[in-house]
Amino acid sequence: MSIRFENVRKAFGSKVVLEDVGFEVGSGECFFIIGASGVGKSVLIKHLIGLLRPDGGSIYLDGEEVSRLTEKEFFSVRKKCAMVFQNSTLFDSMTCAENVALPLRKHKRLGAKAALKEALERLDTVHMREFANAYPPELGDGMQKRVAIARALTLDPRYVLFDEPTTSLDPVSARRVDQMIRELCDEVGVTSIVVSHDLRSIFGIADRICMLYKGHVRMLGTPEDFQTTDDPVVQQFINGRAEGPMEV
Amino acid sequence: MSAATDPWPLRAPRLLGATALSIGSQVGGLVVLLARIVARLFPPRLDRAELLRNLHKMGVRSLPIVSVTALFVGAIMVIQAAPLVTRFNAREIVGWGAGFATLREVGPLLIALMFSGRVGANNTAELGTMVVTSQIDALRALAIDPIGYLVLPRVLSMVVMLFFLTIIGDVVAIGGAMVAGKVLLDVDPRSFLNSLFLLLDQWDLMTGLIKSVIFGAMIALTSCHFGLSVTGGAPGVGRAVNASVVAAASGIFILDYFSSFLLG
Repeated sequence: MSIRFENVRKAFGSKVVLEDVGFEVGSGECFFIIGASGVGKSVLIKHLIGLLRPDGGSIYLDGEEVSRLTEKEFFSVRKKCAMVFQNSTLFDSMTCAENVALPLRKHKRLGAKAALKEALERLDTVHMREFANAYPPELGDGMQKRVAIARALTLDPRYVLFDEPTTSLDPVSARRVDQMIRELCDEVGVTSIVVSHDLRSIFGIADRICMLYKGHVRMLGTPEDFQTTDDPVVQQFINGRAEGPMEV
Repeated sequence: MSAATDPWPLRAPRLLGATALSIGSQVGGLVVLLARIVARLFPPRLDRAELLRNLHKMGVRSLPIVSVTALFVGAIMVIQAAPLVTRFNAREIVGWGAGFATLREVGPLLIALMFSGRVGANNTAELGTMVVTSQIDALRALAIDPIGYLVLPRVLSMVVMLFFLTIIGDVVAIGGAMVAGKVLLDVDPRSFLNSLFLLLDQWDLMTGLIKSVIFGAMIALTSCHFGLSVTGGAPGVGRAVNASVVAAASGIFILDYFSSFLLG
C-alpha cells in the first residue's frame, strides 16, 4: 500500500506550478511536504483525491492510477483517503456534532441519532465533546481544526492528507495536533502526508520529508538528511534565514 | 493595442462579442447544472434533513414578506381600476378584474420577484461563501456529491415553496382587493366574490400556478449556478449575488412573456 507521484505537471494559465514532480510514500509513513508559500504543496496533495487534475504525469494509490478517474470514481478513493484542509472548512450551518455525523450518515448509513452518538465519541477522542453543540464560528482555530480532524477520521481512512495543520495555532495546540498525527501513524497505521512549513512539526514528527522548490522536488530524505545537507537552498529554508540563494 | 484604446468601430464589435460570449457561457452553465440536477433525480437520493431545513428556511420564513406583498398587490389592482370602474359604473365586475390580473399575472410575477430577492440572493450568497471558504471542496473530499446533497434539495425547495407561497399570496391578494374595493369603491364583498367565482375559471388560477413553478425553477437554477461559480473571495460573492438577482429577474420576465403567450 503506497502513494506514488510520477512526473506530475500542473499549470494555472501560463504559470507552471508543478513540473516533473515524483516521489513515493510508504505505508504508515508520516511524510512531510515542505517548501515556500505558493510553491504548490497544497496543489500537489489535492491531486491525490481529485480536487485538482494534473496536466501531465500519473498518480497511484495502492497501485491504482487515480489521476484519470472521473469525479464519481473518485468517491471510493476519498473514502479511504481523507483530507484536513488548512482552514478547517467545517460547515457553518451545522454544529460540531452534526459536522462529524454527516459522513457517518452518508456513508455508514447510520440514522440521525446513531450518527450523532458516534460523532460524540469521535469528538471525545479529540477532546471536543463539550463543544459538540457549538457552531464552528463560535470556536477558535485550534478547536475547529480538532473537529475537522475528527470529521476526516470518521470513515477510518487509511490515508490522511493534512494541509498546514498547525498554521495559525498557538504552540500548545500545534504540538497537540502533531502528537495526534504521530499517534495516527504509530498506533492506527494511517499513512499521513502533511503539508507544512512549521519547522518544529517537521523535525518533531516526520519520517521523511520532500522539499518542493520552483516546481521540482529539491530534496527527499529523512529529517537527519535535511539537517546535514550542503544544499544552500534547503539550509536557508530549514534555518529560516532571510538571506540566501532561495527565490521566493 | 488594448481594448480600451481601440477606435470605436473596433470597440463596438469587440464589446458585442464579449457580451455574447459571456451570456453564452452563463446560459451553457445553467443548462449543464440543470442536466446534472436531473441526473440526480434518477433515482432520487435526497438528504431529508437538508430538504426539510431548506423547505422551512425558504418557504415558512418567506411567508410574512410574501403575504404583505400580496396584500398590497390586490389593493393596488383595485386602486388602478377605480377610475374606470367609477366612470363606467362597473362595480359588479371589480372582483373579476382584480382576480383576473392577480391570479394570472401580477400575483405570480411579484411574488416570484420578492422570492428571488429574499431566497435566491440568500442562496447564492450561501453557496458562494461555501465555495470561497472551500466548504464545497470539503464536501467532495468527504465523498459527498455537492449537487445531490446541497443543490437538489435547494432546487426542489424553491420550486415547491414558491408554488405554495403563490397559492397563499393569491388568497391574500384577493382579500386585499376585496377590502380595497369596499373602502375605495363601496363594492359589497358578496358582489366582489360573486363576480370572482362566476367570471373566472380554473384555468385562470392554473395559469398563474404553472408560471410560479417555471419562475421557481428559474430562480433556483440561477441562484445555484451563480453561487457555485463564484471566484475571487468576498467581492466575488457580492458580484455573484448581484448577477444572480439580475439574471433571475430578467429570466422571470422573459419566461413570463413566453408562458403568457403559450398558456393563453
